[in-house]
Amino acid sequence: MSATTQDSLPKVTPARSPGVGLGRRIANAIGSDNLSLLIALAILVLLITVVSGWFGMDGGDKFFSWQNLMNSLAQAIVIVGLLAIGETVVIVAGALDISVGSVASIGSVVSASVLAGTGAVGGLMFFPTDNVFFAVVAGILAGMVAGVINGLIVTVLRVNPIIATLGTLAAFAGIAFLLAPDGKPIGVVTQPEFTWLAQGRLFQDAPIPPLGGVAWTGVPFLTIILIFVAIIFHILMAYTTFGRSIYAIGGNENAARLAGINLNRVRIMMYVLSGGVAGLAGVLLSARTTSGNPINGVGFELQAITAVFLGGAATAGGKGTIVGTFLAVIIVGVLNNGMNLLGFNTFVQRVALGLLLIGAVAISQWRQSREAKARAK
Amino acid sequence: MVATTVSSKSAETSRKKRIQSLEIRKISKAFPNIQALNDVSLDIRPGEILAFMGENGAGKSTLLKILNGDYQPDSGSILIDGQPVTFPNPHSAHKAGIRVIYQEPEIIPWVDVPENIWVGELPRNLGFVNRGKLNQRVRESLTEYGFENILPIDLMGNQLSSAQKQLVEIMRALKSGVSVLALDEPTSSLTDEEVTRLFTLVRKLRDEGVAIIYVSHRLNEIRRLCDRIAILRDGKLITLQPLSELTQSDIVRMMVGREISEVFRGDSRRTTRTVLEVKNLHSNWHRDISFHVNAGEIVGFSGLVGAGRTELAKVIFGAFPRTSGQVILEGKETNIRSPGEAIMKGIGFAPEDRKREGLILIRSVMENTSIAILRQLSRLSFLRGALERKVATSYVEKLRVVTPSVEQPVGKLSGGNQQKVVLARWLAAKPKVLILDEPTRGIDVGAKAEIYALLEELAKQDIAIIMISSELPEILGLADRIYVMQNGRITGELAREEATEEKVLALAMVDNLSVAGDAATS
Repeated sequence: MSATTQDSLPKVTPARSPGVGLGRRIANAIGSDNLSLLIALAILVLLITVVSGWFGMDGGDKFFSWQNLMNSLAQAIVIVGLLAIGETVVIVAGALDISVGSVASIGSVVSASVLAGTGAVGGLMFFPTDNVFFAVVAGILAGMVAGVINGLIVTVLRVNPIIATLGTLAAFAGIAFLLAPDGKPIGVVTQPEFTWLAQGRLFQDAPIPPLGGVAWTGVPFLTIILIFVAIIFHILMAYTTFGRSIYAIGGNENAARLAGINLNRVRIMMYVLSGGVAGLAGVLLSARTTSGNPINGVGFELQAITAVFLGGAATAGGKGTIVGTFLAVIIVGVLNNGMNLLGFNTFVQRVALGLLLIGAVAISQWRQSREAKARAK
Repeated sequence: MVATTVSSKSAETSRKKRIQSLEIRKISKAFPNIQALNDVSLDIRPGEILAFMGENGAGKSTLLKILNGDYQPDSGSILIDGQPVTFPNPHSAHKAGIRVIYQEPEIIPWVDVPENIWVGELPRNLGFVNRGKLNQRVRESLTEYGFENILPIDLMGNQLSSAQKQLVEIMRALKSGVSVLALDEPTSSLTDEEVTRLFTLVRKLRDEGVAIIYVSHRLNEIRRLCDRIAILRDGKLITLQPLSELTQSDIVRMMVGREISEVFRGDSRRTTRTVLEVKNLHSNWHRDISFHVNAGEIVGFSGLVGAGRTELAKVIFGAFPRTSGQVILEGKETNIRSPGEAIMKGIGFAPEDRKREGLILIRSVMENTSIAILRQLSRLSFLRGALERKVATSYVEKLRVVTPSVEQPVGKLSGGNQQKVVLARWLAAKPKVLILDEPTRGIDVGAKAEIYALLEELAKQDIAIIMISSELPEILGLADRIYVMQNGRITGELAREEATEEKVLALAMVDNLSVAGDAATS
């Protein structure tokens, strides 16, 4: 670790020498941070399925069934997952986007409004009604516009990202109501192609044996969307110049600027991405709840931010991956799901979520200070 | 209870037993990689102004910090009236009557001048601050020293200029009775008017029997004000004698003193193709800067800390704005508004503070190397991973960066290797002009030699190199030409053949150009 041992090392050696064993190579590929997430997930599942029984709690045995895994769990993580993926980009860049829940509400109202041809947007827009494609695009675009606004407030007005998006959290929540006719939800129950986005399933015919006494039901289309978006964002963060710029800005803003990175452009782009994904989450919320409701997105930001920090992102920025966030989203999902199965009420679940956020950030801080100490040596 | 007036207060202070002698005996202090003070002994007498002089890094600041209780000496002692004392913290030094006034003293931003001066000892009535008494006291003491117009008492801490902050700090020292007052380059941010007032105050305090230590780079000021002079060089005390016995050139020679180190470059190979030319540049920090750099030339920028060299580099690199003037790159006038544009036009800049401005410590050696050329390493903004790794690895090997792999976070490397990663970044960018700000600061001798060799090699490839350095041997050894800056201006240009440490230092310290010419030719 210390500088002196570094100096005594020979010159550059290849990262992967042939002598390294397979197990170590797999562990390297996963990364130590993600490995500890997988271990945490395994412990959590054990607690739910086995340990809970020792304390006389019922319901843990229902965890491993297709009904639970493919219906409850896989669908429950999608909205938080999407928001967390967009949030990861922002947090890695050393900023924060608290407004994602309200942006999702806007996406929800706008997509339903375009689909039904009512409300502020649907009334004035040139989108054809009853067209699922345009409804989805409109929801995403609305989210991106919200992102542009966040980005401009942070870059042009130089407002601290936490304050800026706290402000827009409130403002966008209001706008979602203003966009709905008389502030009331817009029903989309009559558009089965649209609600299929949330209720549809794929691979129903796959030859997979029953689990927990329940037959294979296929994978929810929602979950497929989440995985697809996660892959796109993973590529964006790991293999593009934009991703590099995000890590650089989060790691050291001054150094990134002096290395030629245009801070404002990257920051606006990251809020647009975060907003766009939140808009998509809103569209899916409309499809799932069968209405474009201005309260659809309320409260999701907390779970999303929790998942990003739990996934290994540093509060100071410059660190964090989509893979880590994805694993953390599953952990948050399993925690909620397990507590439901075991019969904990929602208030207890809220306490658990709050503690998880604090715990995740505490661990992240501890890691950062340990690394800072290692550097100082 | 009884409103004590300030004049009686200060009379009280002078009645309080003043230190009769302060002696520093055989003090040494080392930091990693540097012996900041080496066996320094001197005495400080009441009723005298003692000048402290020395180059950047000679040990003046360390000595002041030991006197103020900020640092503890490794060995040696401080004696007050013959009794050894220790100052574990600034408060204990203040209690003994020793005060060091730094250039940027601690000021509470949201309270006004009287409260800033009396912080911690506010006069009270039944637990409430007695504002009337407080304001009266402060107003009287300011009037006594002639500062009532310079330091309006209703200003808040965050509205004060540097000069006013120093005054607040001096007033804090006076109100609690001071025996030894040290001023660290107090005039660097003052106007002429303020300087005159400050000198009046300092002389008055001397006449009252206060011992004054005056640190400054300005020879003329030292001449006007001081009685004795202590010159430090490389942590050692070179001389301690009455100022009247020394000429200006004696002082400069003693400050420089060391053997002129071996010449780094064999032959000066200047080309005549000008790559970068700057004409009449003005900015917040600069007045009328003109210079040029030819292809294959290493041009040194010398000057004292605060002369505006780093800021000049940042103005040229587009990180700071300029107000007027031309920047001509390869014959074409350019308007660079951001570092990104500068890099695209072929300028590289390795900043002085590599941890804060140069590197992204938590990211890998590879990412830090490739960051300035991401565009070249990508296709449709997708990074070409194999190419990136190849480029990064080749420069890491070329510069012999010691690292287990290019994946290693750069923060885990030693200082010299970190600096090499910064250089690797700019070599990979293949700039036409490379600006290096203190490229060898804080790195060991071996790495320094490697960096010198590298600069020479870059010059041979016809890159125009600007090297800002406070280490004179390095500038004299490497540079083909030297520009010397002082206070935002270029005060002189020296060709390699005529440059000496004395001439450079004289240009860096003089208060006006006529003295510069005088000293440079002496």
